[in-house]
Amino acid sequence: MRTFAVALLLATPVAAQDAPTKAQGLAAWDDIYAVTSHPRCTNCHVGADGIPMWDGLTYGADAVHGMHVLAGESRVGAETMPCRTCHIGAQSGNATPHAPPMIDDAWRLPPAELAWLGKSSDALCAQLRDPETNDGFAMDGLATHLETSAFVAWGFDPGAGRSVPPGTLDEMVVALNLWAAAGTPCASDP
Amino acid sequence: MKLTVNGETHDVDVEDDMPLLWVLRDELGITGPKYGCGIAQCGACTVHVDGVAVRSCQLAAGDVIGDVTTIEGLGTPSALHAVQEAWIDLQVAQCGYCQAGQIMQAASFLDMNSEPTDAQIDAAMSGNLCRCGSYPRIRDAVKLAAIKLRRV
Amino acid sequence: MGRVKTIARRSFLIGSAAIAGGVAFGTYLYKREGENPLLADLKPGETAITPYVRIDAQGITLITPRADVGQGAWSMQAHLITEELDIDPATATVSPGPASAIYYNGVVGAEAMPIAATSDTLLARTGRGAADVMGKLMGLHITGGSSTVPDMYDRLRMAGAVARETLIRAAMKQTGLPRDQLSTENGHVVLPDGSKIDYLDLAVAAADIDPVQDVALRDPSQWRYLTKPQKRTDMVAKSTGTLTYGIDMVMDGMVYATTRTNPAMGGGIIGFDAAAAQAMRGVRSVLPITGGIAVVADNTWRAFQAAQAVDCDWGPSPYIGNTADQFDAVAASMTDDHQDSRFKDEGDVTAALDGADVIEAEYRIPYLAHAPLEPMSVVVKMTRTRLDIWTGTQIPRFVQANMAKLTGLDADNIHVHVLMSGGSFGRRLEDDYVAQAVEIALQLRDTPIKMIWQREEDFTHDFSRPLAIARGRGAVKSGALDAFDLSIAAPSVAESSLARLGQPAIGPDVAIVAGAWDQPFAIPNYRVTGYRTPAMVPISSWRSVGASGNGFLHESFMDEMCHAAGVDPLEERLRLCWHAPSRKVLEAVGEMSDWGSDLGPNRGRGLAFTLAFGVPVAQVVEVTNTDRGIRIDKVFVAADVGRVLDPVNFEAQVQGGVIFGLGHAMNCEMTYVDGAAQQDNYHAYEGMRLYQTPEIMVRGLENGDKIRGIGEPGVPPAAPALANAIFAATGQRIRELPLSKSVDFV
Repeated sequence: MRTFAVALLLATPVAAQDAPTKAQGLAAWDDIYAVTSHPRCTNCHVGADGIPMWDGLTYGADAVHGMHVLAGESRVGAETMPCRTCHIGAQSGNATPHAPPMIDDAWRLPPAELAWLGKSSDALCAQLRDPETNDGFAMDGLATHLETSAFVAWGFDPGAGRSVPPGTLDEMVVALNLWAAAGTPCASDP
Repeated sequence: MKLTVNGETHDVDVEDDMPLLWVLRDELGITGPKYGCGIAQCGACTVHVDGVAVRSCQLAAGDVIGDVTTIEGLGTPSALHAVQEAWIDLQVAQCGYCQAGQIMQAASFLDMNSEPTDAQIDAAMSGNLCRCGSYPRIRDAVKLAAIKLRRV
Repeated sequence: MGRVKTIARRSFLIGSAAIAGGVAFGTYLYKREGENPLLADLKPGETAITPYVRIDAQGITLITPRADVGQGAWSMQAHLITEELDIDPATATVSPGPASAIYYNGVVGAEAMPIAATSDTLLARTGRGAADVMGKLMGLHITGGSSTVPDMYDRLRMAGAVARETLIRAAMKQTGLPRDQLSTENGHVVLPDGSKIDYLDLAVAAADIDPVQDVALRDPSQWRYLTKPQKRTDMVAKSTGTLTYGIDMVMDGMVYATTRTNPAMGGGIIGFDAAAAQAMRGVRSVLPITGGIAVVADNTWRAFQAAQAVDCDWGPSPYIGNTADQFDAVAASMTDDHQDSRFKDEGDVTAALDGADVIEAEYRIPYLAHAPLEPMSVVVKMTRTRLDIWTGTQIPRFVQANMAKLTGLDADNIHVHVLMSGGSFGRRLEDDYVAQAVEIALQLRDTPIKMIWQREEDFTHDFSRPLAIARGRGAVKSGALDAFDLSIAAPSVAESSLARLGQPAIGPDVAIVAGAWDQPFAIPNYRVTGYRTPAMVPISSWRSVGASGNGFLHESFMDEMCHAAGVDPLEERLRLCWHAPSRKVLEAVGEMSDWGSDLGPNRGRGLAFTLAFGVPVAQVVEVTNTDRGIRIDKVFVAADVGRVLDPVNFEAQVQGGVIFGLGHAMNCEMTYVDGAAQQDNYHAYEGMRLYQTPEIMVRGLENGDKIRGIGEPGVPPAAPALANAIFAATGQRIRELPLSKSVDFV
């Protein structure tokens, strides 16, 4: 399932002065979508119901987070059980299977409008290129976000036997920049 | 390192990655928080850090920022916290091993959400396992404690 | 079937001998209890009027020898004593006392005999008498089989009455007043002028008086605690974190240990390399123990970390290692040469099925771990001459005897201090974890050692409830059940667990068919046959023992038969039921659940009934089939224990039993690969959580002729009632547990 436009790109670099073609941009988007539609991302990029997923390890596809966890409107579980009751915001990390993962940031769900779970490639493409629905990011800001977010870094290296999205974080950034340079094309664009 | 537990500051000499649970139990002799699973599946080790429920088996000693409160610091037999009072009024405990964690979870929950709905109670308390099956009374006791706390 | 007859004859002979030797029913002479073990340890100023009441200047200690594993046994035993002793249980100290033959269990042995609880024939009475005598002769100081209340109901009230009358006699001596001018109230003897003498001030005088023997028990109309809502004596401590469980015991100079043994059951250890572990902070030593290694350190977590760092070379498990093969072995044992029992054989099943339209079904139930929330833990201290053991255990005298064998010490020099257990469900009928700690202590004398298992060690070294397969064959005639033939194959718990306790298992294992063969239904042709699967991985008793699974096997098939006959499952059971108290619980749940009323679309009700430990229990479960799976909405339960001694704890035990039964039926199983359990923590063995918990309405009935215990009987009907409800809501008949293999739960 690893569609590597990025690998292709690295092997035959596009000259700096040449803008990538739409086809190259769409291929880059496919790589981005392979990551953003992966359970490592969609387990938390869920909709307004605030129910995180546990797709991975032994729990099976479509498994919702155990213990009836509801992140609520606060998206941090403030109304019921805070995420950080188990997902400690700490340097320590946690490589124990079935124990809660931790990062050095407050564990939380992304806002409901950033839901990715169940979205088609085209829908997500349109969503991610629009600052109105991508948390206000311009494309260069989005790349910086990828490079600096503790969540994203953890997502590519979750440990404990958890599944990982295809490619590396660096490849993801390259793909994002390529997609941006190609004018963030989506497949359904005229 | 220094840890403040139940209002008292202790100097402990432990590895940064020793879970708070074992610092409390084996280094400080505070045995109210219980070991059940070691992976945040059961909630028996729940304590408060600055008032928020935390699984002490997951919190490394080196990451503790804030004051720790255990069940012993929440209330005592002669000065019960409202949640403990509710637990006793409704005779919740069976073996009781999970109850320190249940009570700490409930106390933190009610502190943040003083008028919870039934659905919120279910969500707040479902991370705490009880093998004996005291859940019906836990539900009722959380509701009773909410009423008691609102009266205070 | 020569074997069954021989056993029946043998147990009859034991009973006959017992009667010849003078066992009488009805009258009760207190001195028959035997020597008081408390007398040995008394200090000046202390007195122990009976083996259950100790008094000194500081206060009164009530000895409650049945273990408390969460069922409230200590508190109930304390209330039984104080009902006659006239003190407030909250003012007394409650202690389980020492391991002693005098605290023998006279009831639990009958559970191992093929005697239906509903039977009152001479043979049944004789068998129960034999169980009492055997319990006494063997000094079976054991907790289990929901026997605490039936066993202790008279004994402890009598102990309280004897203590009261002896204190009164001491007051008579002191005051010169006659008995009829003295009364007792709340820890005092009351004189005619209203002045009072504190029991504590009478202790020394009472010690010089032979305990009064001829006392009468109070009429229930005079009771102040029993049958009224009680406040459990452990409730405040359990709600404030101040109760000392086995795992909480702390001693000066104590070291912390954990063990790791071969995850492949019985595989043993070939060798190990402890170099990395030895170098870790706080590690004192890495020691060999039977089947594995122990790490001794200055902190439990350091011991855990170091134990994982020991490189162990494990041997292969000697048992059939994979669960699919284990089930095959069970299926293969359903043959004549493995037949273990046929206690129920009424009418002529073979003839009734011959030529009939036979309804057939096969059911499977999995291995299940006990997994009490407090993992196995124990504190031991061994000197040259003495061994002290602090732990939560249901078998203090077996611990004493087995550790005597292990250490070479006399049992008298082994002191078992029983502490509150953080759950058990039968796990603490085993002493494997104690033996491990003692093996450490033999290599590390004069140092108190606290040994705690990691949860993963606890799960993978649980002795599970056995798996089983049942085959039902039945026939209906004119819209009614006509033939019901249930064959159950399983390995024998008695064979496995008694061997570990150094006891022989004689005769058929009643547990293979318990909760199935002994049900009070007059089906014209009715047969229940047990087949014994040759031993596989070690197994043990699990809350409600044989009935825990047989309830599902019997009641699922009963439901299928009722549907095949086109009859209402409640009406048909009522028509067939010949036992009045059982009929009453069925009628009660029918009324409570408004049985027969329309529930609306996607909803269904299921009924199940199991009589276990003498307690008939009927349950109705209501479910909704939602788009996200099955939701359990409500459960209605009626149970008859003869007399409900504490309605508050009664309800808690029934609700807990229902939740235990439902939770495991929903999503729990233990499976093995190469002899190693695959479920090693609660993520893989979740049971029920609060959000899934239905409303559970409980009614206690009191039509039974004897008083019974309620710790276990709530469990067996829960799983079949749920499965039958799912069938009613969805049309899907599920014949294998856990149900999560077939349906999702919300």
